[in-house]
Amino acid sequence: MSIVSTLEWIESTDLSTAIREGALPYPILGGIHLLSIALFGGMLLATDLRLLGWAMVRRPVSDIVQQFRGWKRFGFLLVVASGLLLAWAEPQKLYRSPSFWIKMALFALVGVHALVFRAGVYADPARLDKGVTTQAELAAAMSLILWAGLIVSGRLIAFDA
Amino acid sequence: MFAVSFFEWLSTSAVANAMNGPEWAFPVVESLHFMGFALSIGTIAIVDLRLLGLGMRRQTARELAADLDPWTWAGIALMLITGPLMFSADAVNYHSNPSFQFKMTCLMLALLFHFTVHRRVTKSEVSPIAAKLAGGLSLLLWTAVVAGGRMIAFV
Repeated sequence: MSIVSTLEWIESTDLSTAIREGALPYPILGGIHLLSIALFGGMLLATDLRLLGWAMVRRPVSDIVQQFRGWKRFGFLLVVASGLLLAWAEPQKLYRSPSFWIKMALFALVGVHALVFRAGVYADPARLDKGVTTQAELAAAMSLILWAGLIVSGRLIAFDA
Repeated sequence: MFAVSFFEWLSTSAVANAMNGPEWAFPVVESLHFMGFALSIGTIAIVDLRLLGLGMRRQTARELAADLDPWTWAGIALMLITGPLMFSADAVNYHSNPSFQFKMTCLMLALLFHFTVHRRVTKSEVSPIAAKLAGGLSLLLWTAVVAGGRMIAFV
């Protein structure tokens, strides 16, 4: 099956049609996507700002990383799930959108970020309580940059013809 | 009517021209708006979830609110700068858009609530029920602001 016919098949599914053509599903999913950006963003910012020493410096790093982990994961799950459903509604438009592919490339870098920094930074944050390593600061800075890049490229999708 | 002529004037102002000029202007300002509300509403939500007893239990809501306050402020400032910039790009249509009006009403209520009741709850000892009510209502108001904002494009 070619890519184009796959995308056409996706758009012909009941789920895709319902999201695309109903009055409410698309804006509601868009609203959930935005709210989960704020939820995930808040949790991500709290963790990254602590690693950078810009917020909550009175608390040990491990305290912050561990406490925010659950909500951070929940926010991430929500943002990805709502994003997938939104993409399911109009895959052909996204396929032609350069901003969408930039966003997907950045999303792949999020995976690379996890592979590179997970073991050294996030898996055992207690090690950072004595002092935040350069690697951890780099992880936090990269995480903030990727997050900002995802927001900008995501927003630009709506402006691609 | 004064209001309408003001919005018409705003639509032709230099700021509106800049927003409607280069095609990247609006999406870039809009992206900054998203980062602003993620920063403000995200940090407020952290305190709200703590008030509701749903996590971050190793510190009090008061400590969290105090620690995150500068970032909440930064987010609110970014939101309140970029929002009017986007508004100026199409003032006449926004001001008569029901979703926009709903959003502005909720925003006024959310800000009012944040700087009065919410602030008092995070700065003094209150009963657990009052704390939960304040956290829940705050989350609800900010959710309505974001939902109303998303609906502007669809109404």
